Amino acid sequence: MNLIWILLILASLTYGLLTGSVSSVNQVIVNVGRETLELALPLVAATCFWSGILNIAREVGLLNMLQKLLSPLLRFLFPDLRDDPEALGYIAANITINVFGLGSAATPSGLKAMECMQRHNPDKKTASRAMVTFLVLNTAGVTILSTTIVSLRAQFGALNPTDFMPLAIIATSCASIGGLALDRWVNYRGK
Amino acid sequence: MESSLYILPILILLIFAFALLRKFNAYDAFVSGAKEGLSLFVTLFPSLLAMMFAVSLLRESGLFTVMARQLGNVFPAIPSDIFALAFFRPISGSASLAILVDILKTLGPDSLAGKMASVIQGSTDTTLYVITLYFSSVGVKKIKNSLPIGLFADVIGIGVGIWLTLQFLV
Repeated sequence: MNLIWILLILASLTYGLLTGSVSSVNQVIVNVGRETLELALPLVAATCFWSGILNIAREVGLLNMLQKLLSPLLRFLFPDLRDDPEALGYIAANITINVFGLGSAATPSGLKAMECMQRHNPDKKTASRAMVTFLVLNTAGVTILSTTIVSLRAQFGALNPTDFMPLAIIATSCASIGGLALDRWVNYRGK
Repeated sequence: MESSLYILPILILLIFAFALLRKFNAYDAFVSGAKEGLSLFVTLFPSLLAMMFAVSLLRESGLFTVMARQLGNVFPAIPSDIFALAFFRPISGSASLAILVDILKTLGPDSLAGKMASVIQGSTDTTLYVITLYFSSVGVKKIKNSLPIGLFADVIGIGVGIWLTLQFLV
C-alpha cells in the first residue's frame, strides 16, 4: 500500500505541475485536512448511533439467537471444526457482527476464531482449509446494513440514502456463494 | 426502490420491541455502545486523511480524468469513475472510501456513478487487509489459495453490483 500511495501522489503532482493545474493542486494541499475532518465527523457520529442501537441488539441476546440459527450452516461449511463448538462460536459471532456492517467490531472475534483453528492445524506455518474457508466467508462478507454508506449518501443529499441496499445485499450474497463454491470445489474435492 | 426506506425503521423497531419484551435496560446499552463508536474516529481519521490526499490530488491534477477516459472507451456503459473504485475496493478500505466520497461529491449520490459506487462499496470487503491481518495474527506464512479465491469473490460481487445497478437503478 505504501508504494501505491507514494506513486499516486508523485504521479498526480508531476502531471498537475506539467499541465498547469498548479492552483487546484495547491487547493488540495491547503484544504485536505479540513475537508477530511468535515467528512469524518458526521461519519463517526452516525457510527456512534448505530453502535448504540446494535449494542442493544447484542446485550438483549438478539445476536446470540442469530448465531444459533447459523450453526447448522457452519457445521456444513467447516467439516474440520465439527467437534469444536468454541471455534464455531467465534466464527458465528464474527459473521453476525459483519452482517450488521460493523467490520472493525468483528475483528476481535475473528482473531479468536483464527487462534482456535490454529490449534487444529497440523502445520502451523501453512493455512488450514478451515482457515481458507473462514477468510473467504469474511472477505466476501455478507453485509445487510452498510451504515457508513447510508450516512455518506445522506450527507451528500441523496433523495433516498438506502436505495442501494437491496442491490448491495444481492451482490454481496452472490460474492459469498461464488467464493464458498469455488473454495469447496478446489479445497474439499474428494476428501 | 421505495421499499428500501422500510429496512432501517423496521430493524430498529424489532430491536426495541425485543428489548421491551425482555424488560431490558436499552437506554444504558445504547449509551455504552455509542461511546465505543467514538473510538472509531482515532483509527479512521489518519488513514482516511492519507487516502483523501492521494485521491483529491489524482482528481484535481487532471490525471484521473485522462486515465478514466481511456477505460471509459473500452466499457462505454460503465461510468469511468467506477474503475478506480473497483480496482481499490479489495486493496484498501480507506482508499475505496475516499473514492466513494469523491464520486458522491463530484457527481452526486443520485447519479448513475453515485448509485453504482454505493452498491460496489457495500458488495464486498477489503480482501487484502483482512487476509494480511488474520493470517499474520497466528503466524501463518503460506496462505494457500485464499487470496485468489477471495479476489474471485470480489470480482463476482463487483460485477453483479454493476449489472444490478444498470438493470434497476438507471
